[in-house]
Amino acid sequence: MFEDAKVAFFLAKRSIVRGNKGTLSLTILIIGMVFVNLIFLPSIISGVAVLFNQQTIDYSYGNLVIEPKENQVYINSADELQKKIERIPGVTRVSPRYIAGATIVYKGNEVTPLLYAINPDDDRRVLKIASKVASGEYLGDGDTGQILIGYRLAGNYDERLDVIPSLGGVVVGKVVEVTFNNGVTREYRVKGIINSDSYDVDSNAFITRDEYESVYGLEDKANQMLVRTLETGNENEMRTTLMSFGVQEKIWTWQEKSANFLNQIIGSFNIINFIGTVVSLVIAIVVIFIVIFINTVYRRKQIGILKAIGIDRSIIIRSYLFQALFIFALGTLIGGGFLVLILQLLAANPIVFPGGPVAPVVDAMLILRSTLSLLVVSLIAGYVPAWITTREDILSAIRG
Amino acid sequence: MIIGTDLTRYYGLGAVQVRALDGVSLKIQRGEFVGVMGPSGSGKSTLLHMLGLLDRPTSGSLLIDGVDVGALDERARTVFRLRRLGYVFQDYALVPELTAKENVYLPSMARGMTPQECTLVCTDILGVVGLGDRIHHLPSQLSGGEQQRVAIARALVNRPALLLADEPCANLDTRNSKVILDLFRKLNHDLHQTIVMVSHEEWHKQYFDRIISMKDGVIETDLPGTREGDSGGDPSG
Repeated sequence: MFEDAKVAFFLAKRSIVRGNKGTLSLTILIIGMVFVNLIFLPSIISGVAVLFNQQTIDYSYGNLVIEPKENQVYINSADELQKKIERIPGVTRVSPRYIAGATIVYKGNEVTPLLYAINPDDDRRVLKIASKVASGEYLGDGDTGQILIGYRLAGNYDERLDVIPSLGGVVVGKVVEVTFNNGVTREYRVKGIINSDSYDVDSNAFITRDEYESVYGLEDKANQMLVRTLETGNENEMRTTLMSFGVQEKIWTWQEKSANFLNQIIGSFNIINFIGTVVSLVIAIVVIFIVIFINTVYRRKQIGILKAIGIDRSIIIRSYLFQALFIFALGTLIGGGFLVLILQLLAANPIVFPGGPVAPVVDAMLILRSTLSLLVVSLIAGYVPAWITTREDILSAIRG
Repeated sequence: MIIGTDLTRYYGLGAVQVRALDGVSLKIQRGEFVGVMGPSGSGKSTLLHMLGLLDRPTSGSLLIDGVDVGALDERARTVFRLRRLGYVFQDYALVPELTAKENVYLPSMARGMTPQECTLVCTDILGVVGLGDRIHHLPSQLSGGEQQRVAIARALVNRPALLLADEPCANLDTRNSKVILDLFRKLNHDLHQTIVMVSHEEWHKQYFDRIISMKDGVIETDLPGTREGDSGGDPSG
């Protein structure tokens, strides 16, 4: 067995060293590009998922979201619950908020975004919206008559530039008219424009919780509380901890709140990725198959001779398998080199998605999966043509 | 050494059946240098293919070195070819990416010899065929005669019981043909190598111990050769 492998390796090595270098180099290069393709697109998709996940935590939900108990509209005694949760180990800050629909009008432009009512100081310790003020200022605790507008909602004077219905280019200092769901209408001065790269934040508006309560006649309530924890990734454990500390409201993790949205995006990307992967592997199998097949057909007579002088068919097949393995190994190495270069290039010049710059995420499992799939197709593409050609009887092969 | 009994080989079916061998029986002793001659289509190559285990008879039995080769499966036939037979083809049939030494090395390596043993026997046998100084040349760097000598060295490297040669001089000029035939005679004489060689050149007869003439798939005559000692034949007759 080992002797046979040695003979096969000997034949393969000589064929590679003294065979056609041009064809071999081109084949290796194609396999290298296939390897890049197998890893690059999934790494971008993973990068997008990481970006969206981080944005979801930083701009929409924090780590945990507390909502009113079953059949209740508000969380009652919100301040007390906030203080209680903030004392739980592992919790850094809690931000109570109201969310409601509202109609905002500016110079005849009417939009109906979500209106978030926040405690600015709490919110800036749970989310990162405060750090994304594009112009003007962030809200302060106790602000009344002031509003923060997302830049997509603020829009542009030229509405062709807008991606959502907008206020036609409202800027800091201008006054907008807000009509609440209870019919109350008030005027607010735009204190700041937010540009966070988070679609949710940039498409909506913010006022203070005090202002909201004065409009609705509420006190010490909230219909959502965002919780920031010390660590990300242990949300389920933290939920159990909060429950053990007597929090009876509904508790969601950020993954649960964003599951549909993220799953849709990642699901769509995965379909594209699947198609790309299949096409890449088909290219790999076809290229190696053709190269080995032409090689074996061209050497049909030589294969017949080898069999005639007593070289076993399995040795000949194995010699082509070794050649396919060599193409795979060198192709993968060269592809890996290309990939490192591309990743360095992207680190210096990131691809900017609507959600922000995306860094490709290449994990060991992705590399392993891509390498193994390429290995399997290489072996199949090496084995089948060698098997077909060596099946021919000796005399037919020798006669050509 | 070889006992063939009523060997037949038919190709095709029904009315278009071709009887390439039509009941051939023969015995070849160890150490004989046998020439198989005859016109095209007489069955001489078919017979050589049978003896070389490259083809199976339609009927009949064949014993080589005491082994009923007809009963061997494909794998056993491959091993038999490797260990007991040497084959020299008309067009040299060397592996173009292997040097002279590597071409000869291959069968001994497949037989399981160590690299040191392989190198020793290869160098030795290439010296016997007169190519001791050309061992690192690729086939493309050798003349036709030199390539055929490499092919002979490859056929001999595993010390086969039987050396089969299928018109080994067909692609060579007279001078190189003589070199090859002299080499065969030397191997037969010095090593007592059993050789069966197919030829259609009349002047080759003087090299053979025995000449089997074939016609229409049967042995027409089986006569002693016109061998004239070991001083070499004369192509001019």
